[in-house]
Amino acid sequence: MTTSILSIKGLGKCYYLPQPRPQRATQSRAPGFLGAVRRVWQWPISRWTGAEVREFWALRDVSIEVPSGTVLGIIGANGAGKSTLLKIIARVSPPTQGRVAGVGRVVSLLELGAGFNPEGSARENIFMNAAMCGISKTEAERNFDKIIEFAELGNFIDTRLKYYSSGMYLRLAFSVAINMNPAILLADEILAVGDLNFQERCLQRVEELSKQGLTVLFVSHDMEAIIRVSDRVLWLNEGRIANVGNPEEVVAEYQNAAWARVDLTRNEQGRHASRFAELIDATLVSSSGKQIGAAPTTEDVDVRIRFVVKEGRLERVRFGFDMYYRNTLLFRSTHQHEEEFLEPGRYEAWARIPKDFLSEILYSLNTFLLFSRNGKDSSLIMRNALSFSTYSTDESSVRRLRGLFAPRLHWKLDKGSEVAHG
Amino acid sequence: MGELALGNPTGSRLGNSQSWVIEPSRIGLWAYFGEFWRYRRIIWFFGSQTMKRMYKRTVLGRFWLLARPLAPLAISTLIFGALLGVPSDGVPYFLFFLCGSTTWVLFEQSLMWVTRSLDMNRGLVKKVYFPRLVVPVAAVTPGLIYFVVYLMILVVTLVYFLKTDGRWYLVFGPGLLWAAAAAGLCVLFAIAVGLWTSVWQARARDVRFTLRYVLRFWFYLTPVIYPLSQVPERFRDWIFLNPMAVIVETFKWGTLGLGDLYPRGLLASSLLILVILIGGLRYFTQVEAASVDRM
Repeated sequence: MTTSILSIKGLGKCYYLPQPRPQRATQSRAPGFLGAVRRVWQWPISRWTGAEVREFWALRDVSIEVPSGTVLGIIGANGAGKSTLLKIIARVSPPTQGRVAGVGRVVSLLELGAGFNPEGSARENIFMNAAMCGISKTEAERNFDKIIEFAELGNFIDTRLKYYSSGMYLRLAFSVAINMNPAILLADEILAVGDLNFQERCLQRVEELSKQGLTVLFVSHDMEAIIRVSDRVLWLNEGRIANVGNPEEVVAEYQNAAWARVDLTRNEQGRHASRFAELIDATLVSSSGKQIGAAPTTEDVDVRIRFVVKEGRLERVRFGFDMYYRNTLLFRSTHQHEEEFLEPGRYEAWARIPKDFLSEILYSLNTFLLFSRNGKDSSLIMRNALSFSTYSTDESSVRRLRGLFAPRLHWKLDKGSEVAHG
Repeated sequence: MGELALGNPTGSRLGNSQSWVIEPSRIGLWAYFGEFWRYRRIIWFFGSQTMKRMYKRTVLGRFWLLARPLAPLAISTLIFGALLGVPSDGVPYFLFFLCGSTTWVLFEQSLMWVTRSLDMNRGLVKKVYFPRLVVPVAAVTPGLIYFVVYLMILVVTLVYFLKTDGRWYLVFGPGLLWAAAAAGLCVLFAIAVGLWTSVWQARARDVRFTLRYVLRFWFYLTPVIYPLSQVPERFRDWIFLNPMAVIVETFKWGTLGLGDLYPRGLLASSLLILVILIGGLRYFTQVEAASVDRM
């Protein structure tokens, strides 16, 4: 654990995105024959007009040393640069700046079935993959049985891959990758696809191999898996390193910050504003009245929903929220009775979540506002208006097992009567 | 997937203790060739994959390999040979046209498939690392297959004319080596042009359709349906600006002894092909990384 097997220094990746509506900036064109030649030469990589591109830094100033045998978990919101980082190390995409130095064979699982030919059989694909990893045929033959065994393909070895189920595909892909004797394994959210049983086996295998010196870079949104297998966690935020270190701490910090990454202005599905009313935001407020990002399970907390009525009159108004864990609806809660707003104005609705009720997971809320105007019903919804994690300050808590809720129930113990045994 | 040993370029196989470096600066052409050579085994994979794609999901399958050459051969023989009476240097027009088509089809098919290659393998290219040059190089497979099919038809035709006319048109001798060299040059030329067009095609699919038209005109500029002897003297020098003209002529001369060998034209064309090839290699290696990002 002393020598660094992968060393990333000042890594940056810039994508040049075409501007949606280029103004014909003719002055930006290089004049003359040479300019024309240059434009043709660069046409596949840039826009014809050259100048109307926007720089987008998917990664910026990323530096990290990864010692041999480390499992590095990589977390971050979508678009934080996790996949870009893996793509650069896998050499699929070149960096714009910086340097990656490493030792040994890199094998990547960037996407399910990438590098596989669906028209070929498992046998053919194994050899093709081996060739792409630069592995000799004899070495591939030596590993062949191991691959088939771990993938549990049985007698489907000579079936064409296009007839495989996605589970079989995944098992084959993972098995091939892990048996190519990589020094560094790159896995991008790959384990999210398989069934629990196989996920478990993969994680076990990763743990096992990392003890033998395999270095793994593991991207996942599954925080439990991250905490379980990672030795260190790298948290990327908007292309930069937000934090690196101890898995529990970084994950907790990431989850606390989760509320901040919900972009309120860009709700793609559902409308949160109309001519008559608008949902503004939802926040978590502690019992002492402070706005907070994470909820203590040992105290009452309030959810505050702010909305504006722009035009009266709104009848039969109901508002509330749906609470989700990932994509599962946990419950819906609404204001007790229907309201009526005659005048425009700003409102705050408060809902109290009792203490000893929530579990230690990441919750998210969709807020909604239903009303009818001139007899016509309409609804406003703000998806992911709020997401927050919770934490327990109760150290003695045995409720570390993460259910969806952790309510404190009223228990009592009676001594059983003799009759019950009869 | 895989790595590049810049610090330690000695290993011919990618060992597991080699160190590597990834940097924004692009590697030189020679280092690139070394890399290409190390990955040479996947050329076969790509080749066989392209082959399988040729007539995928067709009912007749491999029958097309034979049917596709025969129809144009028959039609052209009828129109140009029988109806228009285009001269054919003293051999039956069918044989004349067949011989010219052999190299032309090798070029045309190779170029079309090389052009499509990057675009076709987009999924793989975006997800797995290997020297991208493998893709266009392996894409000449269909062209080579057609070449073999045409050669087989050629042999059958030669035997046919031996039986019916009692004449054996093929000339055994060093000319056959020249013909082979012409075929090799032809493949090289297709790759050279394809290195440019495949990159363009990955950016815009119009390229393939445009190329189809261009090839149509190119075909008429190449002495396939007519012998070079029919070209007026003052255009002779100009026609050799088209490397395909020399290649087709050399092949016809080498196999059937038709026309002549044009050393000056051959040299000029070879040089031109070399320039396009080197330019293409530079172009391809320079923009490959960036164009993968754009795919």
